[in-house]
Amino acid sequence: MLTSPPSSRRVLFVAISTVVALGAAVVCGLVIGPTSIATSRIVGDVLSHVGVGHSTLTWTQSSIVWQVRAPRMVLGLLAGAMLAVAGGTYQGVFRNPLADPYLLGVAAGAGLGATLAIVNIANASSVPTWTPLLAFVGAMVAVTLTWIVGGRSLHSTPATLVLAGVAVSALFTSAQTFLQQQSSTQSIARVYIWLLGSLGTSSWHSVEIVIPYVVLCVVVCVLAGRALDVMSVGDDEARSLGLSVRSVRLLVVGASSLGTAAIVSVVGLIGFVGIIVPHIVRLLVGTSYRRILPLSVIFGAAFLVLCDTVARTVMAPSELPLGVVTAVIGAPVFVLILSVRRMGSS
Amino acid sequence: MTMVRLEHVTMRAGSTTLVSDVSLDVAGGSWCTIIGPNGAGKTTLVAAVAGLRDLAQGTVSIDNERLDDLSERQRARLVAYVPQHPEVPAGMTVEEYVALGRVAFHGVMRPPSSRDRDAVTGVLERLELSAFRRRDGASLSGGERQRMVLARALAQATKVVVLDEPITGLDVRHQMDILEMLKKEVAECGLTVIATLHDLTLAGLFTDRLVLLHRGEVVLDGPAHDVIRSEELGQSYGTTLRVVSVDGNDVVVPVRGDTHR
Repeated sequence: MLTSPPSSRRVLFVAISTVVALGAAVVCGLVIGPTSIATSRIVGDVLSHVGVGHSTLTWTQSSIVWQVRAPRMVLGLLAGAMLAVAGGTYQGVFRNPLADPYLLGVAAGAGLGATLAIVNIANASSVPTWTPLLAFVGAMVAVTLTWIVGGRSLHSTPATLVLAGVAVSALFTSAQTFLQQQSSTQSIARVYIWLLGSLGTSSWHSVEIVIPYVVLCVVVCVLAGRALDVMSVGDDEARSLGLSVRSVRLLVVGASSLGTAAIVSVVGLIGFVGIIVPHIVRLLVGTSYRRILPLSVIFGAAFLVLCDTVARTVMAPSELPLGVVTAVIGAPVFVLILSVRRMGSS
Repeated sequence: MTMVRLEHVTMRAGSTTLVSDVSLDVAGGSWCTIIGPNGAGKTTLVAAVAGLRDLAQGTVSIDNERLDDLSERQRARLVAYVPQHPEVPAGMTVEEYVALGRVAFHGVMRPPSSRDRDAVTGVLERLELSAFRRRDGASLSGGERQRMVLARALAQATKVVVLDEPITGLDVRHQMDILEMLKKEVAECGLTVIATLHDLTLAGLFTDRLVLLHRGEVVLDGPAHDVIRSEELGQSYGTTLRVVSVDGNDVVVPVRGDTHR
């Protein structure tokens, strides 16, 4: 972990590298896929949309690029950005390196909502269309319940809120398990597919649904960077420095949870992004949230699109669940981070 | 002129009374130290003066403004607070840490102004921290770190600074350094200091006024020389204390094998 303050040249280098990685991810998202389409023809098609030259893509190829790959890539960017910045924000608010929005029940709530939707359509051939809505409602109900139980008390601390989140998550997970137990094998399989997360059902419609939430919530989280730096000295000291700790906590936890709930409702539960991305960024540019949060947005977006590229190509034509890919990449990186931290502190 | 006024302050944690009916007037440009045994309520009381704890009864006012009527930001421009164990985040430079003291002025949505930056530079120079400005605050020695925390409090440019055991864990030289710096701020800048101290000799040496707290109540309140030499001091601490004079300064010495219970 980089605990010494980074030089501005280092921060600039990391920022440029992250933007380059984002550009590479966008290109990968559009170019790589089971159907081989030459990169130059895709670039030509993109340029033709801004009035430069003519497209040489066939109608089918154009549909693959613009109706399949592009919305999937854009949704991946939005999901990665939101999950990463929400994780970084939670780690700042709770001063806990393992925190992310799933901690307060977003995952359990969304899981219960989605399970309710899926198991109640006994003979549906696929995941019901109103699964995202119920997943979103479930996530928000869980977070609100956590806040009511643990956050509204006059003497509540971050630990109280986390404990309430654990309790609410346990309750929602139990309800979900019960529902699954009562349902058919086919429904259970569909629930598991949803829980592992995927961008496979992305469309411009799903992008339209989440984009207002994600833009608003990402902006709120990034703007909270300076407040989170103040909160890094502890609640009492932050208050003595003039920060309304309760208001900041309510605002950023609310924004992170709302944005994550919107994303999770569309793409399912994608783990590790909210934990490993801010940690990798922290390793590179130090501990200030003014640097961590904006860079997490860019790096998280690039990371998820690249993971999705792996997910849909490594076993083509079938796809790996995205949550599996982020976990397979995330777990070793996480272990590496812990080792570096241990070495740093010894 | 009264700078800090506590009127009938009572504080509770559940059914336990931590501070009971404390009233104090502290003059501007003076140094008042709260002393008393562990559990007397010193930390709770100074946290209330900093506006960080809810009162069960009573009021705390600074410069004629009731703290419970003010927002955090307004309070932070009236009173600065140095806790007993300040948290210094790893990776934050000394300059960034001291600049936190200016948040009440520029807010969290705007970067520090040139006036804020000048204030930070001024405090760093005054406390001889300029050479450390780019160092990681967490890597400083105990004495340097405490100076940095004090610098953050002074960067708030408040009329009152509240310190809870500011010399805990420091060697004698660094204890003296910190207290001398504070004394200078009181004498030259008219700062009002309210502190808690366990070292009775140093409390007597630097302080204008001592308030002896025992089980949440004020037992004695007066000039340092009188409180140090009072019978109640040893009784409150539950031990026999002797006061000897060294070069005209009172030195408090505990006596072995003779305790009050």
